[in-house]
Amino acid sequence: MRKFTTIIVLMVIFFIIFFMQANVFNAFTIAGIKPNLVVIFILFIGLFTTQTLGIGFGVVCGLIIDLIYGKVIGTTAIMLCIIGYLGSYFDKNFSKENKLTILLMVFGATFIYELGLYFINSIILDFDREYFAFFKILIIEIIYNILLTIILYPIIQKSGYMLERAFKRNNILTRYF
Amino acid sequence: MNRNKQTHILGGVVTVVILILLIFLSNVETNKLSYLESVATSIINPVQRIFTDLRNKIQGNSVYFSNMDSIIAENEELKKKNSELETELRELEIIKAENTTLQEYMNLSEKYADYNTIPAYVINKDVSNYSSTLVLNVGKKDGIEEKMTVIADKGLVGNVISVTENTCKVQVIIDSASTVSCTISTTNESIICKGTLENDQILRASYIPTGAELIQGDTVYTSGVGGIYPKGIIIGTIKEIITTSNITDRYAKVEPAVDFSKIDTVLIIKN
Repeated sequence: MRKFTTIIVLMVIFFIIFFMQANVFNAFTIAGIKPNLVVIFILFIGLFTTQTLGIGFGVVCGLIIDLIYGKVIGTTAIMLCIIGYLGSYFDKNFSKENKLTILLMVFGATFIYELGLYFINSIILDFDREYFAFFKILIIEIIYNILLTIILYPIIQKSGYMLERAFKRNNILTRYF
Repeated sequence: MNRNKQTHILGGVVTVVILILLIFLSNVETNKLSYLESVATSIINPVQRIFTDLRNKIQGNSVYFSNMDSIIAENEELKKKNSELETELRELEIIKAENTTLQEYMNLSEKYADYNTIPAYVINKDVSNYSSTLVLNVGKKDGIEEKMTVIADKGLVGNVISVTENTCKVQVIIDSASTVSCTISTTNESIICKGTLENDQILRASYIPTGAELIQGDTVYTSGVGGIYPKGIIIGTIKEIITTSNITDRYAKVEPAVDFSKIDTVLIIKN
């Protein structure tokens, strides 16, 4: 029951983030470039909850974004699904206590997500890839994402451990013994 | 534990396969997914509309405080009239240009189709940095169909790529996946305009014929080739011509007539 409520709350948070992205961050840009809060959100679900939930949330949220904005349905869903998996992979292999590793995770996730999405879209929609312009946008976007993570870090950590308590109770013991 | 891991991997693989199938499905038969799209937009749009209204109210704050609703209404009416007049003016300009061409080729005659348009508001803009789609507040029940052309008061905006009951999605010409076939006004040479990633206000005109002479400041308008956009809608002006060592590779930068960062009202051509 507790898990179910948490999932509902997470879905509501996704919609809040989605509207923030569509309204607030369309105005607050760095050199005309928006951050990508959805990637950070899915990454942290993968990090602090289970692998299944990370992948599931990635697919559902990706499909919603695709249905509203996408020219092709399913590409964002695939990439966010991979980010959800990546979150749980990071969880198994790296520590979440350190701020620097979290920042590196956000860096990696944003990089893989945008690069993958651009590549898949360029194949399906058949347009010329402009690598220089793409990486210029990507670097600014990653910097913006990292800045937001630094600002939001206390909230993320607190809510993250709350999520961890709700979803994986015994994991800490099995990991060390 | 091992079995658990296997089911995890199996689940992941199945999900990816389903999503890939979905991509193919959405490419081949877009209409079949429009029901799903309706569901998603009907969840999102009521809330988004509140935000859009709120933003519009905040933007019109100074007028709002003086409490002159009549002025707002009048302003709205005038704006509408202005955009209508500008459309008419543009049509007249095109007719004038065409008239001269027709005088040159006396035996050719072509009637300029009168556009039947529907006004619409932009209610949602893309959240990604790498693509530009707009969501408009008109849909199937207003008679919108796929591939209809969307224009603003100054020129071409894009075309409708999918329609739900109350909204429609528009691919903008500055999107990197968008391609428009165009003609240069003075020389009548045909070129292809593509959206670029590096700048929101620049289109890249390529496939310029080797013999063609380009002039900075020339107007570029749609050629009607390709079947989506009707002939003679203004796209923008040539801003810069970039010559490369090989003349077949040269391209031009075209500045769109519409300011896409501030776009909020558009017209959809219903034909």
